Amino acid sequence: MILIPEFSIDPITRIEGHLGVKLKIERNPDLKNEYIVTESRSIGHMFRGFEIFLKDRDPRDAVYIVQRICGVCPNPHAMSSVQALDEAFKAVPPPAAILIRNIIEGFSYLYDHLLHFYILIGPELGILTAHLPMVPPVLGKEGIEKLNLGSHYAAYIRYGRIANEVQAIWGGKFPHIASLYPGGVTIKPTLDKINASIVRLIPLWEFVALVMMEDVKTLLNRNERFKEVTESILGVKIGLENIGVGVGNFLSYGIFPEPEDYESDWLDPSKRRKSLFRSGFWSKGTFSTFDERKIKEETKYSYYDSPSGLHPSIGETSPKKGKTGAYSWLKAPRYDGEPAEVGPLARMLNTFGTKWEVQRIHPIKGEDYGPVKYEVRNPNGSVLDRTVARAFNAMLIANKLLEWLLDLKGYIDKPVVNYKDVPVNASGRGLWEGPRGALGHWITIKNGKIDRYQCVVPSTWNWSPRDDRDRPGPAEIALTGRFKPEINAVWIPTISVSKLANAIAPKLEIEWPTRIEGWGNILETVLTKINPKYTRINMETTNTGELVNSTIPLLIVRSFDPCLACAIHMMMPSGKEVILELDHHH
Amino acid sequence: MGLRFTRRDFLKSMTMFGVSAMLINKTEIVKALTQSKDYWHICWLNGATCSGCEVSFIQHTDPDLIDILTSITVGESGLPIALPDYMQVVHPASGSLAMEFIDLWKEAKEKRRILIVVGSVQNPGFCEIGGRDFRDLLKETSKFADYIIAFGSCSSFGGIPRAKGNVTGAKSVSDFLKEVGIVKPVINLPRCPGHPDSLVLTLTSVMIGVIPVLDTYGRPIDFYGTNMHQELCPYRPFYDRGIFITKPGDYKPGEEGCRYKIGCKGPIAQTDCALRKWNEHISYCVEVGAPCIACSEPNFPDGDTSPFWKEMPGLPTILNAPAEVWGSAIVAATTIGCAVHFARKMIKEKKER
Repeated sequence: MILIPEFSIDPITRIEGHLGVKLKIERNPDLKNEYIVTESRSIGHMFRGFEIFLKDRDPRDAVYIVQRICGVCPNPHAMSSVQALDEAFKAVPPPAAILIRNIIEGFSYLYDHLLHFYILIGPELGILTAHLPMVPPVLGKEGIEKLNLGSHYAAYIRYGRIANEVQAIWGGKFPHIASLYPGGVTIKPTLDKINASIVRLIPLWEFVALVMMEDVKTLLNRNERFKEVTESILGVKIGLENIGVGVGNFLSYGIFPEPEDYESDWLDPSKRRKSLFRSGFWSKGTFSTFDERKIKEETKYSYYDSPSGLHPSIGETSPKKGKTGAYSWLKAPRYDGEPAEVGPLARMLNTFGTKWEVQRIHPIKGEDYGPVKYEVRNPNGSVLDRTVARAFNAMLIANKLLEWLLDLKGYIDKPVVNYKDVPVNASGRGLWEGPRGALGHWITIKNGKIDRYQCVVPSTWNWSPRDDRDRPGPAEIALTGRFKPEINAVWIPTISVSKLANAIAPKLEIEWPTRIEGWGNILETVLTKINPKYTRINMETTNTGELVNSTIPLLIVRSFDPCLACAIHMMMPSGKEVILELDHHH
Repeated sequence: MGLRFTRRDFLKSMTMFGVSAMLINKTEIVKALTQSKDYWHICWLNGATCSGCEVSFIQHTDPDLIDILTSITVGESGLPIALPDYMQVVHPASGSLAMEFIDLWKEAKEKRRILIVVGSVQNPGFCEIGGRDFRDLLKETSKFADYIIAFGSCSSFGGIPRAKGNVTGAKSVSDFLKEVGIVKPVINLPRCPGHPDSLVLTLTSVMIGVIPVLDTYGRPIDFYGTNMHQELCPYRPFYDRGIFITKPGDYKPGEEGCRYKIGCKGPIAQTDCALRKWNEHISYCVEVGAPCIACSEPNFPDGDTSPFWKEMPGLPTILNAPAEVWGSAIVAATTIGCAVHFARKMIKEKKER
């Protein structure tokens, strides 16, 4: 029997949570016989069981506890949860509360999108595009100063912190804020808080507009160079827009409501036309209005024997270890029967279509740095489009934050909460967007306690297994290479990261302390300095004993900004199957 | 240039005052450590965690993460004194190479290996890293660790994953080590998430040879030696005068009050949040009109600490608190505070009638 080559990447670092992927590869005659991935399987490694221990608690505890699902983006969980409680308590928050919620979440988005752009996916992008500021600062302060190596990576640590300081001003601390309450917030707007927030917004705005957006332009330019390299190695021009190509369906619940139109535009999720990002389902160029009833969770390939196709508000979670054919502890959420990608790209497509333009007018100085425009390269989604969308999200929010902060001055003496007592029996839903995409919480209250709590989170949409009609989930599709009818080059080079880097920028040179030429040689030198082991970075051994380079699949995994802690929060007890599965890893 | 503050001076001040010396001399951390002649090796393991503790850690300033990695270096080597051999959330390497770095840490010089754990320890099968159960990894690395620090409430006490009704058997690192027969002290730095100051200062203190004094729950008394409500809360005067917020957020601007009636668990919280605050010392839960949820305490999020928005049963809980927490004078003060509160409440009810 011929052994099909396969390998694992486990653990995948620089994501939230514990994830490994297993990839089957095959030599592809269309790509000069280089390897591409033919089948992928992702395995989540941690289960805590939030929905189980939320039961029987005071409903208001949920806003705190669900934040601990994910400490990287706790706020969206708090926001979804508090909106589910708003609905259950029949407490419509006053406009001041909506503004304060928008401000907290806006700064949370800036911190989170920048974190992903610079720390989580940045290192791979920096290496593949020979863009030194985005590579980690492995040569320390001197390297940052003299070579620009890691300068933007290092700068992020400061700017991310500034964004979180504003979350602390309005939320008490970050991670895990304290100031949300059903029907509003607990914190009063004051001039000093507004001013302290504006003072911090300015440098952040400048970082997003003048560093991040410029990095986007650099990535787009260098992508052209990357295509020349792939053409020489693979015989075909492969850019970052041909890597990680997704399913082409994009779902958004909408986020950042207009405070004064909250009741008329926001509360019905199928409206949401005035919010900064709209709700909707965008599929292959066609937009349709969002309908919450079309969300169903299918279980054919999941370890559950509960009925398939239920809406989350009535969903059941009954685990069945060893269920024949099943391979995942995630359910498969589908919208109108379709797998759907969620995230920044989904928000952009549903709000602006495929042609984007964002202004860069300094909020205080008024100086115009010129708009940034982008036309979606791959309408099915790709590493490039997801990354650019994330930066556009950040820029749009940075522009909007000053407006919200100034508006809040008009609400200084206005109420921040529409206080209601805990209802005896009620239910509610909170449909919101995390930075990673569509996020829904559904709560049922009985006798004043939580009877049922369900979350369908962004990473469940993106990392879902196959559905009842055997169609894979969005990330599974993106991690599976294909060449016809469209290109999705999940290319697995057999050369090292340094050799690949040398091909990308052979002429790049630095003085450290003597002249080193070639991007890969530079990388090799600096990595050896920290530890010679790093020169083997991203290399994995297949079951057939071959050394392969996992950079491309890692890039695809990270382009979805996966949050495994979120995705697996609802999984029921892990069974032997998962452990056995894991035993195959080396 | 100011006075030269040598490592010896720093050490001396540390020995005299404990970790709290660094609350004053924080900017001296860099100087004191830079004179160290050797590397410290750090392995940062994630159990059942939300990664909030890592996010919290990178909010630290003076020095910040970049300073720690690029400025606090050993001699002229240019390499950071604290080498994070393995730290999942920010590690450059993934996959098999990442796992090798854990082995590298194990082989590092003796007395120089620090193990930092975030997240609780669950029954087998609930958390795996690189194909290995987290429990096995923790057991193995603990054997090599010269110092073990549990950062955040999950690794310190079990935290949120250990909430009532959990099905994973989540527990603290120290309970797990006991269970598997490893006798090693664990420095617990609870709070949800862990406070970055507590980690950076504890690390620094360990590196310059001063082991913090711990309370009965393994927490350094420099961070957990004060009671929020009794000793630090700026809203305490309202409590003593019986002025309370009774509905969250529902009070006039400028009006303030004690948060006890909306569920504040300050009276059972041994933390310095009110003083130290969070995110560059900007604010903390109580300041934004919310209750303290006592996330520093062993029974968080159950027992006395929840429901978060419900008033504590009051006096009995306070009187039943451990003796080392409550001096008789403190109890007297509390009793007076409550008495004033109840007296006012009765007068108010009388008026309303």
